[in-house]
This record gives sequence, structure tokens and C-alpha cells, in this order.
Amino acid sequence: MKIALFIPCLVNQMMPDVAIATLELLEKLGHQVILPAGQTCCGQPMTNSGCFDEARSTTLKLLNAFKGVECDAIVCPAASCLVAAKENFHEFDKSPEAKAVIDKLYELTEFLHDIAPIPAFTKRFAHKISLQLSCHGIRMLSLATPSEEMGPRFNKVEAVLANIPGIDIVYPDRRDECCGFGGTFAVDEGAVSAKMGKDKAQAHAATGAEYVVGFDPSCLLHLDGMIRRQQLPIEIRHIAQVLNAAL
Amino acid sequence: MAYNHNHGAHGSQVHAHKADIFCRDEARVDWHSKALWMLREKRDRAAGSIPEWEQLRQLGSEIKLHTLTHLAQYLETFEQNCIANGIKVHWARDGAEHNRIVHDILSRHKVKKLVKSKSMLTEECHLNPYLEKQGIEVIDTDLGERIIQLAKMPPSHIVVPAIHMKKEEVGDLFHEKLSTKAGGSDPLYLTRAARAHLREQFLSADAAMTGVNMAIADSGTVVVCTNEGNADMGANLPKLQLHSMGIDKLVPDVDSAAVLLRTLARNATGQPVTTYSAFYRGPQPEGEMHIIIVDNGRTEMLKDKILAESLKCIRCGGCLNTCPVYRRSGGYSYNYTIPGPIGIAVGAKLDDTNSIAWACTLCGSCTYICPTKVPLDKIIFHHRRLKAEAGKLPYGKNSYMPLVGKFMASETMLNCSMSMARTALRILPGSLLKPFSGAWGKYRELPVAPNSSFEAWFKKHRSL
Repeated sequence: MKIALFIPCLVNQMMPDVAIATLELLEKLGHQVILPAGQTCCGQPMTNSGCFDEARSTTLKLLNAFKGVECDAIVCPAASCLVAAKENFHEFDKSPEAKAVIDKLYELTEFLHDIAPIPAFTKRFAHKISLQLSCHGIRMLSLATPSEEMGPRFNKVEAVLANIPGIDIVYPDRRDECCGFGGTFAVDEGAVSAKMGKDKAQAHAATGAEYVVGFDPSCLLHLDGMIRRQQLPIEIRHIAQVLNAAL
Repeated sequence: MAYNHNHGAHGSQVHAHKADIFCRDEARVDWHSKALWMLREKRDRAAGSIPEWEQLRQLGSEIKLHTLTHLAQYLETFEQNCIANGIKVHWARDGAEHNRIVHDILSRHKVKKLVKSKSMLTEECHLNPYLEKQGIEVIDTDLGERIIQLAKMPPSHIVVPAIHMKKEEVGDLFHEKLSTKAGGSDPLYLTRAARAHLREQFLSADAAMTGVNMAIADSGTVVVCTNEGNADMGANLPKLQLHSMGIDKLVPDVDSAAVLLRTLARNATGQPVTTYSAFYRGPQPEGEMHIIIVDNGRTEMLKDKILAESLKCIRCGGCLNTCPVYRRSGGYSYNYTIPGPIGIAVGAKLDDTNSIAWACTLCGSCTYICPTKVPLDKIIFHHRRLKAEAGKLPYGKNSYMPLVGKFMASETMLNCSMSMARTALRILPGSLLKPFSGAWGKYRELPVAPNSSFEAWFKKHRSL
């Protein structure tokens, strides 16, 4: 497939390794991958603060970067940014061209589960990982059944990782309780955000896993700061990095 | 006094400030968070024991939405059926009118002492201080309510109002107010003392008042749920009984009430049903039964399609128990009578600190917990937009958000400054960066900065 990468500003600027891993793993799977120019922010910091007017121009700039780009799918390695992009694109542009872009948007895990599953892994990844089930991915993108919901359960994140030879997947206590990042919440509500992050980091470390693995870079960046402040024996990895290491 | 620590009062300070104070005692935060999470776990077990749980939530949501969209009709039917049952019905536009109506009824009967069971509506209307000013003694008879009433504190939770107090603190309070032995903190001992104390109050009361969990339109019935039987002890002893309800409590019929009864207690505490679920549909022999139906902003809320859904709430408190922010900031950090997600939903408009709508990470757990599918995260998100449109933003957002908007929309500005930031993070010592890193660096290590952006890497390694 021909895939256009949507690399959110935070990943582009602060976590390029996540984007590189995404690119490499998609190429290893035989996809043709392009990076449309002119991508900025999805507008989430503004809309989550209620500031829709301030979000308009940045959102439309990002949308325009994808309009008319020839591709089968637009893939993003950040669930929260992807959800915001979908909602904000629709909020500010209701044209058929905008809808064409929105319909092609996929979060990486979602893409690898629903659209183009990985046929086989070639390398071992013999590590114990603790999965970080970030909120927007599970409760807005349905990557896994939220713990609040009763009835039949599914978990696309685990399903995508489970066939990696040697991998051992565990979960922290209160498995999908929010890590406390929340965008500007992390600075507006510093004390509560930090306490949530500390609790989450400790819960991951208590599993004895070597890595906290997640699909949302912003949550991971926040957890990384908490883990290193508390000197916990665990490191963050994005799911793309784990998948890329096993291909 | 040990129980009256410094975050025990309402006041117009932003949520983050009060939360920051609450968070200073980390052991207490852990204890508070764990106590409420235990309720969440009990709820999960109770909900999971019913195969049709998700269908019940859907049904509950539809019942409430249906009733709200036909509210005028159901309110009229309810009133007619109440009158036919010998109940006196009163209408109150706001809290002040509600309080006057209650006082009129009580003074006509020369009531000196009123026993009251749990009602968040009377908290919303600030009934107790109003009646006390008129010389009427008001005794809250729910154990948790009585505890906080003796401590002169508002409820910190809508179902377990004294959840923020430890048993030792209750022991000290009872020692002072009810003359229990000093240092006595055994729950059984304290509960027995409270029971004896409350029994005297019931027997000497002139009137009883309760809140209402559901009001059944087609039979003119009010449903009152308690675990302690205190509402029933009250309503069945004095000849005069009053029930206060918001217009949002209506349901069409007893079958609808039964659906909500199946989820209410399960979602609140994990019990299959409240110990006492009483259906009142008329006065005692030679008694009088009054129902006061209150609007107090609800009709206004119904006009906004998104906010209207918050009126589906049945006050189970499940959203508070699951809320990671509520559990770590406490019930007194919200600048509104009702804390937590539902408190933000119904209280953000009145919040003069304009901050409670931001006391939320938009994690969405509350929405998935809710037994009537109130879309709490969407409502909170909507409140932020309404606040922004009114120019009422907290935490300096009014001044910095337009700049962020411009900054993020410009690739050049974003690339230049982020490149500078990465360099600074790499070469400058942490001690020099810390003062500029604000709340991020206060609590967390700063990120390890990469050498270049992905875009730059891509240009170098994959020719465009």
C-alpha cells in the first residue's frame, strides 16, 4: 500500500525515533511510505482548552498537507493526536476533500490490526513489557475494551504484539487508569498530573517489566519524565519501536 | 481539630490551587484514592455479574432521554397523579423559592425539629443554613451526612459524603459532639453511638424530609433509596413528610424506575440494590405529604443539547469513584456542591474560578462508567468551549492561547524554536533549565532531546 505518514509535532520535534521506527517497520512490511510536507499541529492543545478560534489555522494547515495527496492510508503513531485531527478536521472543514482525508486516517496499531496485519515476525524480542493503555486510544479509538465496559473483550494492541517471538506482555494495576498527562493539564494541574504519573510509573515498574510500551507518545514522554525523576528500573518504548525490532 | 484540615472549606480559588494543597499529604491522597478505587472495583464486580449490563445502560440512557424530551407532559401527569393520591405538590423556580416553600410548610405546622435524609438538591439549595437561620433545627440522618454536619463541613462526595474522613477523625468528632470515649475509633462502636443519637432525633422530630431518586409519573410515586433506612424512619414517624426533587428525577412508569434501580446501587457501591428502596405514594393516615419540584437552572440546561444530557444523571457517584483527578484532589477542590465529573458537568457554568472544567484529563472513564451514558467528557469539553467563547479562561490561557495558535500554525516558528529548545536541553545543565521548565520540570525530568527533527532526518535519509 502507499502510506502517507502523519507525524504529529511532538513526535517530529521530540521523539523522532518513534517516527523512524514507524517508517522503517512499514517499509519492511512492503509499503511505500511518503511524508507529506507542511505538517504542523493537530490543534489539540487549543481545542482541549476550549480555544477553537486559535486552533483553526493550525488544524487547516495540517489538513491541507494531506489534501490531494495520493495514498491509500494516512498513518499516525500517536492515538490522541489522531483523534484530535479527525475531530478538528471535521470541525473546521466539512468539504468532500476533507472527508476524503479523514476517511484515510489510521492510528498505527489500528492500521496494523484492521487494515494491513503483519504476516510474520522475523526476530525475537525476548523482553517483558508492561502495556500502557492510553485513554484516547482505548476510549475514543476503540483499540481495546475499556475496563469500565462489560461483556465480550478485545485488545488490538495486545493482538498486534502477541505473535512476536519471546515477548511477555503484562499490565499494570488499574490497567487503563489515566497516566495524568492530559496535554496542558500536565502544567495547569501540575500536582495532580504528577501524582497520577507517579502512580502509573510505579504500577508499571511493579510488574517487573523492562519496558513500558504504548501507542501514545505524549503519555510516554510524561511517564518517561516521571520514571527518571523516581529512578525506576523501567524504560519507555513506543509500540513502533518494539514492532520494528521484531521485523 | 484533626478532621478540619486546611482544604476543608469552599472558596473561590482555582481547582489546581486546592488540588495542590490536597496533594501535599501524599499518604492521605493514596488513602483517599484507594478507598474510592475499592468502590470502583466493587462496581466492576457487580456490573460484571449481570450479562445484560451494557443493555441496561443503554435502556437507562434512553428512558432518561425520552423523559427529558417529554418533560412538560410527564411533570403534569406526575402532578395530577400526586394530587389524586392526596399529595400536595409545589413548584420552585430556584433554590430560594424552594427554601421559602419548605419554610412555609414547616412554620404552618410549628415544626421545631426536622429530620432529613440525604438530598443533594437541598445541598444545592443551601436549605440547612436557611432553615437554621429561621430557628428550625435540621438533623441530617444519613450517617455520613450527620458526620459532616457535626463537623460543619459540606459533603465531599455525593454518595459517601464523609469519605475524606478517617475513622480516628470521626472518633475525635464524636467524642467532642456525642460524648463517646476519647480515642474510640472502632467503626462498630462509633456506628452504635450514632444510632443511639439518631434514634433520639427521629423520636423527637416534628417533620421529615427526604430527597428523591426517581419520581414515577404514571402513579404519582416518589422512590427514595437509602442503605440505613433513615429516610423511612423519618417519613414514617412524624405525620408531616416532605420530599424535594429536581425536575430531572421524572421517569414514565414503575418499569422505568426498576431499570434504574438495577444499575443505581451496583454502580454506586457494588450492591445489587440499596438496602431500602421505598416507594411513597401518599400521606400517612391523618398525615401530610408534600413534594417540592425544583427547576433551579435545569430548564436552562435543557436548552443546550450537549449540556442537557447531564440531566440523565441518577447520582450514583460512579463517575467520582473512577475519576483519577477527583480521587487525587478531593471533593473540596471543585468550587461546587457536587464534585467530580458530574459536578463539573452541572456546576461549571456557575464556577466563578472558571477552572473546574479544566480539572479533567478528558480520559473518558466517567462516560464509560455512567449507568445512563451521560457523555461526561464531551460535556466537560463543551464547557471549556463555552468558557473560551465567554473569554473566561483559567491559568493564563486567555493571553497565551492565541500565541500558541499562531506559533503552531507556522512551520518556521515551530521548527526554529524547537530546534533551539532541543539544543538547550542537550547542552545546558539541568540546574539552569529548571527555572524555565515550569510545572513540567518541577515534577518530572526534562525530556532527553534528540539531535534533529524527524523531518530533517527524513530529508537526509529518504530523498523527497
